[in-house]
Amino acid sequence: MEYLAPETLDDACRALASDGAYCLAGGQSLVAMMNLGLATPERLVSLRRIAALRGIETATDGALRIGAMTTHAELAGLDEGTAAASLLAQTARVVAYPAVRNRGTIGGSVALADPAADYPVALVALDGIIEIASDRGTRSVPARDFFRGMFETSLAPGEIVAAVRLPAPRPGTGVAYEKLCVVAGDFAIVSVAAVVTVEENAPGTTGARDTDIQVAVGGYGMKPILLSALGRLDDPVGAAAQQLASHGDPPGDHRASSAYRRRVTPALIERAVAAARENSRRRPLRARERS
Amino acid sequence: MSSRKIHCTLEVNHVEQDLLVHADETLLDVLREQLALCGTKRGCNHGVCGACNVLVDGMLVRACLMLAVEVDQRPVVTVEGLADGRGYTDIQQALVAAGAIQCGFCTPGFVMALTALFAREPRPDRDTIRNALSGNLCRCSGYVKIVEAAERLAELPR
Amino acid sequence: MDTLNGAVGTSPPRLDAMDKASGRARYADDIRLPGMLHAAVHTSPHAHARILGYRTEAARSIPGVHAVVTGADIADVRYGGIVKDESMLARGKVRYVGEPVAAVAAADVRTALRAAAAIEVDYEPLPAVLSPDAALAQDAPLLHEAFAQYVKSVDGAGHGNVVFESAISEGDVERAFAECGAVVEARWQTQAQQHVYLETNGCVADVDATGRITLYATCQSVHHLQQRVAEELAESMARIRVVATRVGGGFGGKHASNLHSIAAWLARAARRPVKLVLSRMQDFEIQRSRHPAQIWMKTGARTDGTIIARDVRMVLDGGAYADESPAVLAFALLMSRGPYRIPNVRAQGKVVYTNKLRAGSFRGFGNPQASFAGESQIDDLAVALRMDPCELRLRNAMQPNDTAFGGHAVPSCALREALTTVRDAQRAAPPLAARAGTRRGVGFAAMSHISGLMGTSATVQLRTDGSIALATGCVDLGQGADTAMVQICADLLGVPIERVSYAQQDSDISPYNWKTAGSRSTYMTGRAVATATTEMRGRMLDQAAKMMECAPSDLELRPGGAIGLVGVPKVVSFKEVALHSLFRSGGPIAATHGFVFDGPPFDPKRASIHRLAFSNLGIYTFGAHCVEVDVDMTTGKVDVRRAWCAHDVGRAINRVSCEGQIQGGFVQGMGYALTEAMHWNEDGWLTTTTLADYKVPGMLDVPAEIHPFVLEHPEPSHPMGAKGIGEPSLVGAAPAIANAIRDATGARVTTLPMMPERVLEAMEVTR
Repeated sequence: MEYLAPETLDDACRALASDGAYCLAGGQSLVAMMNLGLATPERLVSLRRIAALRGIETATDGALRIGAMTTHAELAGLDEGTAAASLLAQTARVVAYPAVRNRGTIGGSVALADPAADYPVALVALDGIIEIASDRGTRSVPARDFFRGMFETSLAPGEIVAAVRLPAPRPGTGVAYEKLCVVAGDFAIVSVAAVVTVEENAPGTTGARDTDIQVAVGGYGMKPILLSALGRLDDPVGAAAQQLASHGDPPGDHRASSAYRRRVTPALIERAVAAARENSRRRPLRARERS
Repeated sequence: MSSRKIHCTLEVNHVEQDLLVHADETLLDVLREQLALCGTKRGCNHGVCGACNVLVDGMLVRACLMLAVEVDQRPVVTVEGLADGRGYTDIQQALVAAGAIQCGFCTPGFVMALTALFAREPRPDRDTIRNALSGNLCRCSGYVKIVEAAERLAELPR
Repeated sequence: MDTLNGAVGTSPPRLDAMDKASGRARYADDIRLPGMLHAAVHTSPHAHARILGYRTEAARSIPGVHAVVTGADIADVRYGGIVKDESMLARGKVRYVGEPVAAVAAADVRTALRAAAAIEVDYEPLPAVLSPDAALAQDAPLLHEAFAQYVKSVDGAGHGNVVFESAISEGDVERAFAECGAVVEARWQTQAQQHVYLETNGCVADVDATGRITLYATCQSVHHLQQRVAEELAESMARIRVVATRVGGGFGGKHASNLHSIAAWLARAARRPVKLVLSRMQDFEIQRSRHPAQIWMKTGARTDGTIIARDVRMVLDGGAYADESPAVLAFALLMSRGPYRIPNVRAQGKVVYTNKLRAGSFRGFGNPQASFAGESQIDDLAVALRMDPCELRLRNAMQPNDTAFGGHAVPSCALREALTTVRDAQRAAPPLAARAGTRRGVGFAAMSHISGLMGTSATVQLRTDGSIALATGCVDLGQGADTAMVQICADLLGVPIERVSYAQQDSDISPYNWKTAGSRSTYMTGRAVATATTEMRGRMLDQAAKMMECAPSDLELRPGGAIGLVGVPKVVSFKEVALHSLFRSGGPIAATHGFVFDGPPFDPKRASIHRLAFSNLGIYTFGAHCVEVDVDMTTGKVDVRRAWCAHDVGRAINRVSCEGQIQGGFVQGMGYALTEAMHWNEDGWLTTTTLADYKVPGMLDVPAEIHPFVLEHPEPSHPMGAKGIGEPSLVGAAPAIANAIRDATGARVTTLPMMPERVLEAMEVTR
């Protein structure tokens, strides 16, 4: 097996263009698969030296650009001032375990696209954008289009996830991530990311109204399922459940059967939406893994 | 299947080591096989059990999921390198005193995780302790006395 | 028995604790010998197939390969503790996916793996049976066609795919049920659980110039392993030596298995040391599991709550080889009455071959299965009687001098105290608010187990400077047996524990011990240590009497290692006694004591016993659990919030060690109850082969509060009053949690593990 640690994105992309070439980010998934004999790369292209993949930038309007090599630990420590930062931080905190979070990266997780992983769900719910680099330049793909199937993304050979972008936050937005798993740190049976934007109270009105609710569900299909335009409805959760049902039956596996996933997901959506609504008062909760 | 070895220099427990490694050799492989530092254990080899925890640049990582060639200039500390030849750390002593050690195979991993925890938080509460140790499996103790040992340490003047 | 300095009952740090905390402790994979080779095992991809031939030239020709072995090369020997049905490598047939078929030894791990993969085996696949139902069907394919010819140490009436059948009964259940005011009946199903010791199985086999083998092994008995390897290699035991390494957990999964003979064979063939350490995946695939069980049980009581009848039938899934299945079956039946005074009990069962990994010994040994059913049913009976479940247990609990199922007298029994202790502790605990969306339930379970069986011995010697050398064959798996034995010895001699050395277990020199199993070490080996130490103490007094020209009865031990005349300050030190014996007269002072379990036998006037596959056992221990759970009403996920676990240990040699065993056993039982299950697909492939798929409880999955209560009511037949603690706390975890779920939701879950989906389904059924 050949090992390369290029210093520029261009060099990395070119090195990845050959068959049997794998990208090595944090290694928390790839090296595990190699140790188990489930992956036998002919060439490993390490991203560790590429400065362009690091760093978190916050624009003046609050939009975030997160370098692909940002670790889960770094994201878990994000200042949760905006909804996007808060959801990413909540999500990052429930990925695996502390030692794995110190090395695992958002870019690696996004590129792997495990159907039961956490970030893809959060990014789809937040209308995130995946920035992709190749030796021909960069292109951007909305997260909802980037995740195509089980371990399947829009990445073409020779392309690398360079960064993840989150749009500028809207005031009055709250977020929540609900994760149901068998044991703590496991992949989800089902997970739900909810983003709820609440209209400010107009003078003379009682209570606030949800202007927008967007929910993404993970572990329910081969990729995150986006349920959108749920705001301003009498029964947003019911509408979400209907939208969900139109995606067909969820998978059954050793974690849970299809019937079980179908059964509990609407209630988890309800919980996530309620928690997000609560958090829209700009008091982000710690990540609550549904344990 | 790798045939060519790569030369790399690792600083392990404050000693520079000149090594020849396969590209797919993990830090765990190198520590145990080439450096005869067997205190770091192989419990599962896929990152779940935590028995292989080491510190890389002060950060807790799974030695089984880190390729040796990826370590680069960052100093590595294993359980053997904690006390620096001056006896045992208060974390090690606390675990012994609390009766928190049974078969002992998970213990080095817990010692490293606790070392990383106390380096950043001198007075962690129970929840913080449990979260910090959430990636370490123990099959013998039921975890209770391990947490008790850490709680006692958190109360000590430091 | 008089004790001098109170080492027993204190909790000194374990002898090996700092070695473990500092990374110094040496486990099997830490051993490196000059010239050592590495072994890799080639395993069967078929659940059931005839082996037609092997092609090993490609493997042999890989540079760095030193030895290759297949089933065609090994001695024509069948091994088995009770039914001799297996061989170190498959011969003629493979009977489960993962069965070792061939092995290689090579210069390094990569080469070994490559060479193992390069071995080609021709198979004729056969139809496989993956469940007892399939295996028992008419015209089911037979796993062991030659079963009738197998040597068996006990006749179990095996036939077809039935390995063994047993039954035990007392009284007249049919008549008794007719007198009952309340009768409940149900079926339970339990799963295959794996030990998941943090250290996988492994060994290093060394060989001398004559081909004599020394095995450094993580194991539960050097003597038993020595016996198995000698038998499989068709050698005398004098040609095999086994030395125990530090053991990283056992739980019943590190009894002798194929891999030791494989490593030994390769070492002899290569004339080099050979290391064979299983990967986590292969450990799941090759070793052994707990028996899945199907249990039908019916229990009846009079309207006043006196339980008078219980009828039990069980089928255990034994996997491809018998291993300890007949004994597990026997013990499950024996424990199926539960710790209650039920006069009419009938328990029948069978173990069945299936084309899966063999099931064998695992902490609890049939009791977890039996108690999951039995203790769940007690609660169901309480509901039928409109009685409080804890009250129903107290009303029927065994008491001192009752008889256990089978007729053994039980002189020491603190079950009622255990139950009231956990009940009162839970009531007194500050209330914990239930989490949002959940319902709180409280559940109880009572348990009984044994701690005396088979043979053991201990040897103690006086060293030149008056310090003591103690040796037993009892391997410490991490539970603290080493320290406990030293405490016993030191206590009886009035010396600090640092003055007693404790030998590593080595079959060349360690006095015989059957195995570390059955919660027997403190009772059996501890008793041997106490008796041997007392004998040596007598000889030291004799020696001192000669030195001081008086009668031994004029002398007494003094704390700190001396012997003095009663009422007079004059003493001689242990050192002086030793020197006198070594250089003047008398000779080296030492003592040894060995015995085989000598409790009363089963009582044939009371119990009708058909084919129980173990010799006598006994020394009953008792315990009770109380757990609080929150059941998420939407997802069915169960969160154990707090637990109280009380166990009567007779006498705690090391109290902290007892607590650690109680807490650890409870958590391993939580895994059994809630999250752990081995799964096989329809081709017989084990799909849960990593710790990502097989879910062991971690820190955040278990309560921060598991309160252990160590109760002490001395067992009369032990010099210190001690009995066992290793297994019981695992036994009661699943039923206590199941009962708490029922308390919270009204739903009875009868299948393990109680995953969220199963709990939700049970709640549906109840609605």
